[in-house]
Amino acid sequence: MEAAAPNAPEKDPTPWRLFRVFFGISAVTVGGGYAMVPVIGSALEKRGWLGEEEFYDLFATAQSFPGPLAFTTALVAGRKLGGAAGAAAGALGVLLPPFAAIVLVGALIGRFGDLPAVRAFLDGAGATVPGLVAAMVFKMAKNRKWSLPRVLGVAVLALALVLAPKASLPVFLGGSALCYLLERRWNS
Amino acid sequence: MEFLSLLWSFFKIGVVSFGGGWTVVGLIKAETVPRWIDEAGFSSLVAIAQATPGPVALNAATLVGWKSFGVLGAVAATLSVVAFPVLAVAAAGLVGRRLRLDQGALKEALRTGTLAMMLMTLWLLLPKGGLDPVLVLLGAGSFALAAFTKANPLWAIFGAGAANLAIKLLFGGS
Repeated sequence: MEAAAPNAPEKDPTPWRLFRVFFGISAVTVGGGYAMVPVIGSALEKRGWLGEEEFYDLFATAQSFPGPLAFTTALVAGRKLGGAAGAAAGALGVLLPPFAAIVLVGALIGRFGDLPAVRAFLDGAGATVPGLVAAMVFKMAKNRKWSLPRVLGVAVLALALVLAPKASLPVFLGGSALCYLLERRWNS
Repeated sequence: MEFLSLLWSFFKIGVVSFGGGWTVVGLIKAETVPRWIDEAGFSSLVAIAQATPGPVALNAATLVGWKSFGVLGAVAATLSVVAFPVLAVAAAGLVGRRLRLDQGALKEALRTGTLAMMLMTLWLLLPKGGLDPVLVLLGAGSFALAAFTKANPLWAIFGAGAANLAIKLLFGGS
C-alpha cells in the first residue's frame, strides 16, 4: 500500500505549466522583483513543486546573478524544476506580460501624451521618482551593518559613478571585485 | 548603427543590474538621455515603468526600444537586458561547483556596489534648475511616504500624478 506523500506533486511542472504560473504572477504583480518573489515562492509551494526552504535557497542563488530579480528567480526555479526548457518557459512567462503592458501604455502615451492633462499627470508621477529612489537608499543604508571599509567603498564608488556614469559597467564590476577582496581581508 | 548601439547600451545595463531595478535607472538615464529620449520623457518613462507590472529595467528597455525603433526595437532592447543574466545563469550551471566564492563577502561587496549605483541614480534623477515647487513638494512627499510608512509606492505615483493634474486644472499653472 502506498500512501501519498503530503504535498505530493499532483501535476508535474511541465514547461507549459511553469510558463502559465510565471505569466500569471508577472501579469498581476506591480512593483518589481521584491514584490514578486514571495508570490512566486508561495505559488510553487502550493503546487508542491518546491519546499519553502528550497525556494529561498534558489532565491539566494538568483540574487547573486545580475538581472531583474523576478527574471533570474524564474530562470533558476524553472531550471531546477524543468531543466533548460523549464528555465526558458519561466523566463518567457515573466517577460511577456510587462512587455505587452508597456507596448500598450507606450502606444496610448504616444497618442495622447501631448494633451496638457496627460502631461500634467505624467509630470506629477515622474516627480515622485527621485523621492522613491532616495527612500530606497535611506532604507538600504539604515539596514546595513556599517564599517569603515564599507563607508569608504560606497563613497568612493558613488563618486566615481557620478563623475563617469557612462563608465558604470567597469567601475561597478571593478569596484565590487575590490570590495569583495576587502571584505574577505577585513573579516579574516 | 543606432540600433546596435541601443542594444549595446541595454546589454551593459543587464550586466550591472544587481539588487533590484532601481539600481540601474541612473545608468539607463546616462545611456539614453538625450540620445533616444528627452529629460521629461525619461522621468515619465520611469514612473510608467514602475506603475506597470514587471521589473523597472525591463520596462524601461521595452519603452525606449519601442519609442525609437517600433516593435522590433522593443523586442530587441528587452532581450538585450536579459542576455547577460541568461548567459550568467547558464555558465554558472556549467562551472558552478568548481568556482568557490565566499558568499558572505560577495553579498556585502554587491551591497556596496549597489548602494553606490543607487546614489548615482539619485544624483542623475535630481532635477537641475527650473524647479516647479509643486513637483518638488510631491517628490518630498513620496520620499516620506516610502521611507517612513509601509504604503505601496504605487500610491505615491498615482497620487502625485492626480495631485499635479488637479493643481494644473485649478490654477492654470504653466
